[in-house]
Amino acid sequence: MKSLYLIKPYFVKNRNIILFGLFCLIVVDMLQLFIPRIIKWAVDDLTLFQINLKQLLYYALYIVGVSVIIGFFRYGWRRCLIGMSRSVEQGLRNSLLDHIQTLSASYFDKVKTGDLMAHATNDIQHIRMAMGMGMVALTDAIVLGSASICFMLYINKLLTLYVLIPMPVIVLGTRFLSKKMHRLYQEVQGSFADLTEAVRERFAGIRIIKAYNLEKQEASRINTISKNYINKNLRLVKNTGSFFPMLLFFSNISLAIVLFLGGRQTITLAITPGDFVAFISYLGLLTWPMMAMGWVINLIQRGRASLDRINNILSMKPEIDDATDAKSIKQIKNNIIFENVSFSYADNTLALSDIDIKLKRGAVLGIIGPQGSGKTTLLNLIPRLFDVSSGQILINGINISRILLRDLRSLISFMPQEPFLFAGSIKQNIMLGTAETKDSQLISAAEKAALYDTVRLFPKGFDTIVGEKGIVLSGGQKQRIALARTLMHDRPIMILDDPVSQVDMETGNLIIKTVKSMAGEKTVIIVSHRLSAVRFADLIISLDKGRIVESGTHEHLMENNRYYAKTFRLQEIEEEFNAN
Amino acid sequence: MRTDFGYFEEKQLGKPYDMKMLKRLYPFTRPYRLLVSGSIMLVVLIAFLDLSLPYVTKMAIDRYIVPQSASDMADASGSEIRNLKVNVLEPETREIISRYPDIFQISGQEAVIELKNLSQLSKNDLTELRKKDFNGLNIITAVFICIIIFSFVFNFLQVILMEYTGQMIMHDLRMRLFKHIQELSVSFFTKNPVGRLVTRTTNDIQNMHDLFTSVISFVFKDLFLLTGITLALLWINWKLALVSFSVLPFVVFASMYFSTSARDAFRTLRIKIAEINTRFAETIEGIKILQIFLHERENYLSFKKLNHEHYMASMQQIHVFAIFMPVIELLGSIALAVVIYYGGGSMLAGKISLGSLVAFISYLKMFFRPIRDIAEKYNILQNAMASAERIFLILDNQEKIQQPVADSGYKTPDLKKIQNIVMENVSFGYTEDEPVLKNISLEIHAGETIAIVGRTGSGKTSLINLILRFYDPTSGKITINGINIKDFELSSLRSKTAMIMQDPFLFSGTILDNIIQGQNNISRQNMEFILEASNCKKIIERLPDGLNTLLYEGGTSLSSGERQLISMARAFARNPDLIILDEATSYVDSETEEKVRQALYSLIKKRTSIIVAHRLSTVRHADRIMVINKGRIIETGTHDELMKKKGFYFKLNQLQLS
Repeated sequence: MKSLYLIKPYFVKNRNIILFGLFCLIVVDMLQLFIPRIIKWAVDDLTLFQINLKQLLYYALYIVGVSVIIGFFRYGWRRCLIGMSRSVEQGLRNSLLDHIQTLSASYFDKVKTGDLMAHATNDIQHIRMAMGMGMVALTDAIVLGSASICFMLYINKLLTLYVLIPMPVIVLGTRFLSKKMHRLYQEVQGSFADLTEAVRERFAGIRIIKAYNLEKQEASRINTISKNYINKNLRLVKNTGSFFPMLLFFSNISLAIVLFLGGRQTITLAITPGDFVAFISYLGLLTWPMMAMGWVINLIQRGRASLDRINNILSMKPEIDDATDAKSIKQIKNNIIFENVSFSYADNTLALSDIDIKLKRGAVLGIIGPQGSGKTTLLNLIPRLFDVSSGQILINGINISRILLRDLRSLISFMPQEPFLFAGSIKQNIMLGTAETKDSQLISAAEKAALYDTVRLFPKGFDTIVGEKGIVLSGGQKQRIALARTLMHDRPIMILDDPVSQVDMETGNLIIKTVKSMAGEKTVIIVSHRLSAVRFADLIISLDKGRIVESGTHEHLMENNRYYAKTFRLQEIEEEFNAN
Repeated sequence: MRTDFGYFEEKQLGKPYDMKMLKRLYPFTRPYRLLVSGSIMLVVLIAFLDLSLPYVTKMAIDRYIVPQSASDMADASGSEIRNLKVNVLEPETREIISRYPDIFQISGQEAVIELKNLSQLSKNDLTELRKKDFNGLNIITAVFICIIIFSFVFNFLQVILMEYTGQMIMHDLRMRLFKHIQELSVSFFTKNPVGRLVTRTTNDIQNMHDLFTSVISFVFKDLFLLTGITLALLWINWKLALVSFSVLPFVVFASMYFSTSARDAFRTLRIKIAEINTRFAETIEGIKILQIFLHERENYLSFKKLNHEHYMASMQQIHVFAIFMPVIELLGSIALAVVIYYGGGSMLAGKISLGSLVAFISYLKMFFRPIRDIAEKYNILQNAMASAERIFLILDNQEKIQQPVADSGYKTPDLKKIQNIVMENVSFGYTEDEPVLKNISLEIHAGETIAIVGRTGSGKTSLINLILRFYDPTSGKITINGINIKDFELSSLRSKTAMIMQDPFLFSGTILDNIIQGQNNISRQNMEFILEASNCKKIIERLPDGLNTLLYEGGTSLSSGERQLISMARAFARNPDLIILDEATSYVDSETEEKVRQALYSLIKKRTSIIVAHRLSTVRHADRIMVINKGRIIETGTHDELMKKKGFYFKLNQLQLS
């Protein structure tokens, strides 16, 4: 129940609306109970022929009048209560997105996108249902149920008690079945996820399937998985399928009791025929609350579980946040220093150990090393996508964990290894995070990233839509868009993670030239597998298994004759051999 | 219960859905028509049982609880009096009558007592007097209980039957769609993101669940109920029935008005939620970028705006419902009022019985329930139709590679061993006005290694796509052993080739499954050879489960180089004539790269191979190098020949040096 604080503000803020909605709902319920009364009077009078047409007309008009009033109040509660649940939905979704954006990279390593999406869609929907229909049904069930029972008691106490016999069975049965159904439902969802993943994989690997003639084989695999999904569904339905018929059955049992016992009592004149008919009407009113109780409990439980899950996310503190004594810095005055920096991922794999680097302002740092040696990890530490496990990184002599996160990040333009593009135009992607709107700057960034000539060939140029609904770009094109995005930001530190991995040699050289031209005015840190991209750096470090195994300038490292020199010669021989 | 994860929906505003979609879905139900009709029959039975309940109640009232008497007569004041008739022939009855001579009027074999005077009788006498009514009530209650038991059983059976049928129909549709998509040419996949196609095969079909399982049968139930009630009402009292039907035109009008506005509201809501989901997914996937570029605020604001639009759309939907529901209820109440007034009047005039009136009221309530449910059914139908439309859009897509048609007069040629591959004047473009390959002519002999060199976008990958028939040339032809490759069955062409891609795509499953790909006849010895030749041995030995190690998304302990090696093993396992290799552009670490290279050499040895090279080091071993620029072959020859030529290839080599 601790998660309730999440929705409490909505209750407080909307309390007048909620109260009015509840008021409308109760009025509707009460007036609904009134109609069987009118019918009873009419029937009683008719039975004894103690009525004339005029009086009958009054009864009819009563019914219509009451119904008109009911109609207005119905509109009221629907609008207020269901509307409120929609506004809770809106609010929760906003805070979820807002909060998720503050969480650190390490969180997203642990959590799958699909799971988060499930929270954003299913859980929020469950909460909405619990708040909207759940609240309505609960109020309804309580008001209508107790009022119907009162009326029935008023007509005949003993008969009422008999009629209520099936009720506990219904509520208990609902509880029992709903637990079982929940478990089976989870299984269905699980096998649906399997199905989705299997299908996804086959479409993603369609070329292999086609090239290797695997169509039949894969179709039969999907067939098996799909059949499994059907079986899970059927198991669920064996339970759900008995659920509503069961509810109906028990409420009809009540009716049978009225017919039998009530009928006898009418014959023995213990109750009037009108009472008997009204009793049947009230029982009809009671059926819904009886069914609703089970359903409501279910709905609210599910909503609460969802609320707990959302709460777990919202109460997740970002691992990386401003320190209480965080300082603001606007400029980089001197060195970037790594002092004894070590870093382990959450699963305790040591990714970096004892890193010491001193990088002068305006200098270029090249980082090389085999895959998995910790290059990207090292880059991620600088904008604090991750925090060091031990040691410290200093900018202007201040530990970066004591610099305002926003200030730190606004010193850095960063190009990650994976070029991620958002759905939208190329322009929007390049302009991301800048207030600039001048086309000249856009063009200049695109030129520097060797992108301009490519974009110019697109019919819509920079307004070409990319992503899901747009055109399909090659890896190299995406990489260059990401690079242009980085170049749009004129910031003192530039970090490039393997910027030429997906472009051809010629384009790569153009890009390297751009980077070279920035040396001196910006501090540049560049990771590359292509050693010609780091050759010109003021300092090159070579990482292996998270340690710096050698460092120095190109000349120094060539003399050193270790990883750098070997790889460089290998690549050189490769090129020389071709040159001959 | 079911929720929609469809966060890959299109933005477009669909047209209103008509009967066309249902018509197209109909054939999928045909194989199950027996089950469907069985289920419909059950539904009709259930509806019949439902309908019989008020009638049974009516019988209980009219026959036993408040019996009708034929000899009801007018008293002095002219208004009627309700009497109970008893049989004087029974000795017990006679005894009672003799005890209360004032209130019984005897005429012949019958005695009559006014209902209101019954209270003057002692309890025992009353019970005795109405013994027969008690017995009747017992029987009727038993009938009633039988009906509800049958109703329970039928309901349960119907749900199971319909679920099974619905699931099978969906399964068929899903398999049909999956197979269809799988058959579509590669060009289709470049235009449609995987996420969208997955949504079509999973979520969109799931969206039709309720249509197949509940809507179809319940439409019949509702129709039957409506007709049944109408007939029952007419039968009980046709005049009263006609009078109470006077509200029907208003109901029809309200429903039609509602369906129009509800459709619009639903559609906007669906589009908005799809957009929200897309945006949400994108935020998660691009979170690093958003954080590094300090773009969180802007992203939040635009999300908030979108979210608010969704809220407004949902309020509009609530508004529509909040009007429709009460209006229908009100019309129901008006019908009730009419029955009370007119029916009551008729009863006063002795034209109908009390039981009839009560039954009338019960039936009328049942009459309005299906109408109210229309709203819900409508929602389901709209969702299902929207999904159906998207599914049929794909099923209608015939972007397939044409297969030769084998019939009695024509047999597709067998492809035994590849002797030569010839391209004659081949041109190709992904779009009409942008040719990627222009007039390519070349000849490859068995056993040759051909390297294709050129800048990105020069058409290298397109060339190999044509040989595998992922695409067909726009003009010119490709022959293997002198036969146009269009004349081969796709499968026989592809069974002779193995392709290794830049991205070594592995399926989740064991490493073994990934290597053998369904060929279960690979001997142990052969397997050893495959692993050895592909340099996979070390990897397999390192893994505790060896070949049976499970690969799954995000859970692999294999580096990209190692995955590449496994894809090599996969190629070895097929023992193909022709190897087509799209070399990986990005560098893996040197050690693994060396292993990949070794594996590649043993793979292409003694085989024909076409290699799209990104590194010139791979090229120098080739028997022939073809340099492609802007879709044309501009140079062909060995490495040495081309270097001497000092042409494009030479320049390319120079560039890599600088």
